[in-house]
Amino acid sequence: MDYSETTGVAASGEYLTFTLGAEEYGIDILKVQEIRGYDAVTKIANAPRFIKGVINLRGVIVPIVDLRIKFNLGGETYDQFTVVIILNIGKRVMGVVVDGVSDVIQLSSDNLRPAPEFGSVLDTRYILGLGTVEERMIIVVDIERLMTGQEMALMDAAV
Amino acid sequence: MSQFYQVFFEETSEHLASMENLLLNLDVNDPSLEDLNAIFRAAHSIKGGSGTFGFTDMTSVTHVLESLLDRLRKEEIPLLAEMVDAFLEAGDILRAQLEHHQGGPEAEADVIASVCARLNQLAVGEAAESQEQDTPTETTTSAPVRKIRLSCELPANQSQVAESVDNLLEGLRDIAALEVKQRPDGTDGHLIAVLTTQACDSELKDALAFYCAPEDIAIQPEVEEEAYGFFDDLGDSSATDTADIGYGFFDDLPDQTPSVVPVSSADDDGFGLFDDAPGAPAASDAPSGQLAEVAPGDSPAAIEGIGYGIYVNAPGGLGLFDDAPGAEKILQNSAPPPFCGKTAAAFVEGVGGAASSAQATQKPSQADAGRRLPDNPSIETAKSGRRDNDKTVTAANTDTSIRVAVEKVDQLINLVGELVITQAMLAEAASNLDPVLAEKILAGIDLLSRNTRDMQESVMSIRMLPMSMVFSRFPRVVRDLAGKLNKQVEMKTIGDNTELDKGLIEKITDPLTHLVRNSLDHGIETPDKRIAAGKNPKGTLTLKASHQGGNVVIEVMDDGGGLNRARILEKAKEKGLAVSDSMTDFDVWQLIFAPGFSTADVVTDVSGRGVGMDVVKRNIEGLGGRVELESSPGFGTRTVIRLPLTLAILDGMSVGVGGETFIVPITTVIESLQPRLEDIRTLAGDSRMVHIRGEYLPLISLAEAFGLDGEADITKGLLVVVEAEEGKAALFVDELLGQQQVVIKSLEANYRKVPGLSGATIMGDGRVAMIIDVSAVTRMGLSQVKQRLAA
Repeated sequence: MDYSETTGVAASGEYLTFTLGAEEYGIDILKVQEIRGYDAVTKIANAPRFIKGVINLRGVIVPIVDLRIKFNLGGETYDQFTVVIILNIGKRVMGVVVDGVSDVIQLSSDNLRPAPEFGSVLDTRYILGLGTVEERMIIVVDIERLMTGQEMALMDAAV
Repeated sequence: MSQFYQVFFEETSEHLASMENLLLNLDVNDPSLEDLNAIFRAAHSIKGGSGTFGFTDMTSVTHVLESLLDRLRKEEIPLLAEMVDAFLEAGDILRAQLEHHQGGPEAEADVIASVCARLNQLAVGEAAESQEQDTPTETTTSAPVRKIRLSCELPANQSQVAESVDNLLEGLRDIAALEVKQRPDGTDGHLIAVLTTQACDSELKDALAFYCAPEDIAIQPEVEEEAYGFFDDLGDSSATDTADIGYGFFDDLPDQTPSVVPVSSADDDGFGLFDDAPGAPAASDAPSGQLAEVAPGDSPAAIEGIGYGIYVNAPGGLGLFDDAPGAEKILQNSAPPPFCGKTAAAFVEGVGGAASSAQATQKPSQADAGRRLPDNPSIETAKSGRRDNDKTVTAANTDTSIRVAVEKVDQLINLVGELVITQAMLAEAASNLDPVLAEKILAGIDLLSRNTRDMQESVMSIRMLPMSMVFSRFPRVVRDLAGKLNKQVEMKTIGDNTELDKGLIEKITDPLTHLVRNSLDHGIETPDKRIAAGKNPKGTLTLKASHQGGNVVIEVMDDGGGLNRARILEKAKEKGLAVSDSMTDFDVWQLIFAPGFSTADVVTDVSGRGVGMDVVKRNIEGLGGRVELESSPGFGTRTVIRLPLTLAILDGMSVGVGGETFIVPITTVIESLQPRLEDIRTLAGDSRMVHIRGEYLPLISLAEAFGLDGEADITKGLLVVVEAEEGKAALFVDELLGQQQVVIKSLEANYRKVPGLSGATIMGDGRVAMIIDVSAVTRMGLSQVKQRLAA
């Protein structure tokens, strides 16, 4: 997918929606590699709290980020319903912990509205827009930008 | 076609490398025929390959090279040192041309021309000279000048034109004294001529190639008189005189008529040029057909196989061929048994001689072997047969290897790693089963674990390559550099077969080259200085590789002047490095590795080395290795490089800290012990030291360093004493879990570098464990201590 398209306000396509607390988020389905259950992680020394650690995904060491902690949503319970979405961003593989995966939806640019400017943990830079499907509001996140952003500390600064 | 280019490029590089290697090992005074043949074969393969792919520039260079080599291996001319130089240069040109075809810069045309001219001159000049010497004393023994009868059938369009025939004869006169017996004309295209020449058959054929097809040319010795008839007693002496050339000397038909045997000879060496013996009429066509079939396959091994064969001669003259498939085939095809007496002998001669003509022509000194060894005729043959049988075996070995992309191997290694983990999970799950009820499953899992372990080992070994891959490039480097520096250097390698991971092999080449160059440049003295010092004027440079524990140790040794301690100290003081005259030698030598400690003004021509030694050290440490120097004035210097066996695998000690598992590289571990409370001292209040065997080591708690809830009570945990470049330290851990080989996985691939960790690995239970970067952790601990001391 073209970068300019993903950063634009209105990108249409298929989105994977997931819940974090009471909120529903959507990410570009093409960035998703797979969805799996939450497994024990190995902690990484001196990492931010939202980086849970790393897991072994078929021989690849994959860092796991808990978006609930990152977005200050609370409710950090890990049970059999906790889901990890494995993302493929650039040449990297990383996982995000979410409360649950809902479904895959089609969003056209018509039902994507730009997010209003207001101070939140989730900088509006990372929000592509707010989508409306029936009565649900879906926060469409630019997951690539979010995960590669400096504050996620998922990469070396030089990268 | 282009998809085969890569194969050609790779093969040609290999041929060039082996050619160079052989050339360097060649003893100019007594060249081994086997080596000359091998060099010839390499050149021939390059020529064939480049011809096939249309790289005509390479074909033409190899052709010149090949002609000279061909004469050499037939011992028509002696090997000279300058020829070796010319060959090496030709090899360089071929390499440059090869690079050009791979997209590199174009090879310089004038250099090519000059080297070709030199090769030609070496080949032709020598030929003229030896012809002069040999012509008057033409004998039946070793004279390469032969009198042969050449007959060929010119196509009608050629033979009808008188000029064309003239041209042809003119061409032949250039290389041979010519006596035309039958001149072709418009009605009969048959040309028969007797030539006295030194040229080999292939040259004659080349000369004729323009006019008629090589298979229409027959060359046979002109039989003139009894002098050639030393096979009179063939029937009795039994047919083992393979030493003789397969040109049909054993022909016992004095009045050999021009009845031409249409022997086809697909190979340069004129295979199959033996004449019919009466009574064995089938022998000639069938075997030559057979040979022709094999020879164009362009496989040296195949030709080799045909070339030799042990055949034990039965009294009756029945040939029993052995080992050589080609020869065997000939026998099957052509020998209607039983033969007896003279005829059979002649036949066996014919086949054997023809088959071994390639080899036999190079041994003219054996030409009279039949006469010399009438009593024990089979010795020579048996020997050469055996030797070449060995060679066939090695040739077969190289054929059984395949080229595989490294990524595929790495993928395989990863998959096997997964398999090992899966197997471990299975084993764990099965451990809860009732051993009585699930006996079969448990036995199966046992077997599975054994097999996976074996499999892992075999897969890992795929990546291992012998050190000779690296060492093989140095004879050339040493030779060239020694020539440039006017030094005499002999290079020795020990432990060529020591195996090392491919990744390491690639990365160790540059630092090693550096060390070798340094040894030559600064270590080994010039011959007169060496003589003055009472040493052999020829210096020795030794490269040695060996396994020591989990390490590969590579040593570069020279018997030169050694390092000059005083000069190094002096220079270090100038540089403002912290030195004192009381430093140990070891520490002084380490100064050389300091960045910026450059040679140019530092070091006398005998004493020092320093050109980029810091780079060497950094490279080797980057590979997880260490460099040490030993030197003694007047006796030489030894550089020792210690490397882990592979980059991908690490022997580790697994330790538990706060519920997590960490891997400490076993190479850094000195000992582990249970601390006693009275050995723990504090420094500046809270920084802890531990007193072990008279040494005070900083105590680093891994739990603290990595922010984990570890064991707080020092007496309940364990201390692992490690040594890194910064010095020793004691790591405090909760427990020791065991020792195992782990596959190193990068953390940076998907995450980023974590201070204190060098990577991660996957344990048997599928969990991730972190590998501790001992130097970094030690540094962290030491800096803490220093900070506290300073405060």
